[in-house]
Amino acid sequence: MNTLPDTISGALILSCIDFVLSFIFISFIGVILYFFPKMNRLGEIKEKKN
Amino acid sequence: MENLFFSLMTDLLNQTGLMSITIGNIIMIFVGAVLLYLGIVKKYEPFLLVGIGLACIVANVPGSELTKEGGLFYYAYQGVEKLILPPLIFLGVGAMTDFGPMIANPSLVILGAAAHLGIFVALIGAKLFGFTLAEACSIGIIGGADGPMAIYTTMKLAPHLLPQISVAAYSYMALMPLIQPPVMRLLTTKEERQIIMKQPRYVSRLEKIVFPVVIAVIVNLFLPPVAPLITMLMLGNLLRESLCVDRLAETASNALLNIVTLVLTVAIGSTMAAETFLTPNTLLIIGLGLVAFVFGTGSGVVCARIMCKLTHGQINPLIGSAGIASVPIAARVSHMVGQQENRRNFLIMHAMGPNLAGVFGTAISGGIMLALLAH
Repeated sequence: MNTLPDTISGALILSCIDFVLSFIFISFIGVILYFFPKMNRLGEIKEKKN
Repeated sequence: MENLFFSLMTDLLNQTGLMSITIGNIIMIFVGAVLLYLGIVKKYEPFLLVGIGLACIVANVPGSELTKEGGLFYYAYQGVEKLILPPLIFLGVGAMTDFGPMIANPSLVILGAAAHLGIFVALIGAKLFGFTLAEACSIGIIGGADGPMAIYTTMKLAPHLLPQISVAAYSYMALMPLIQPPVMRLLTTKEERQIIMKQPRYVSRLEKIVFPVVIAVIVNLFLPPVAPLITMLMLGNLLRESLCVDRLAETASNALLNIVTLVLTVAIGSTMAAETFLTPNTLLIIGLGLVAFVFGTGSGVVCARIMCKLTHGQINPLIGSAGIASVPIAARVSHMVGQQENRRNFLIMHAMGPNLAGVFGTAISGGIMLALLAH
């Protein structure tokens, strides 16, 4: 397994990878949420508690 | 007879902690008193600061047995060290959180990533100050403003820094009403702060039930290092939204969360003994934590401001700072600053979207760090 160098450049590489991937993952969640209203066509669940 | 009396009194005195108290202990007792003052008098997150403050004071009284092996505070700390308490906190948080605002406005979830620039500024800063990369990551994650996640990441990457990092994370979370507003005002105009946002759409029960299941699957699939935390968060939320296990949801969100918070705050405070806490590294970590909070708040506001421009003024940039996580403290700060500009502006529900997304943002950042470093 490749390891990040324990140097400033390692910190910079890790920060860049992490920051970009955070945006990608969060955007992915956002895209999934964008389609959530569509599932309401499947039916509804009553709000009443048992 | 007189000699015997003085000899007995000296023996008694030696058995107290008075003879071994140090300047460091006195300083830390003062720190504990300040935390108590902020919690009780100033009402800055008293749920956190009261327990931390008292445990900090007790941990620095030399005669105290509570923090030594076999003492109650020692066992409280074991809950942190063995990573039992952070997932339980997330279970309770999930059971008391309505993710509706996040589901209702998917475009705002991006703020949950944008407000984490502070993590990386602090990470690089820590590396510049000579910390190892694993230590720097643990310090950086303070900027995620998520106590359980900071504890979890630190225990995996740099467990020896747990006292400093957990104290910095929880203290700054408690002090967010002081830290964030000046940054928010600096980066926004008065007109922008007065923007009233549109009411979010209605989110159905079906969506709210499907949400925790989908997120649990995604996180376990893509981010296994942080899956225990997010899975418990989603389990708590499913208990709440399913409406069929009210007693479990009620217990997780009230009794269990209160008990775990109590144990966690006492555990954190008990780690603040002068001999381990009063070091130059502690000051550096606390300083870098503040840098992380300031940059995270700033980057969130700047991103929200860009979104405001792109949507022709439909988004109030103040909600950007809520992307830093720390649910619901950061959302309350956005709301409070908005109210100071316009009494009719209720930003809390809008700010909750980015605020909840910030939890996932921190989890993603922490998960990537753990995936790349914890081996």
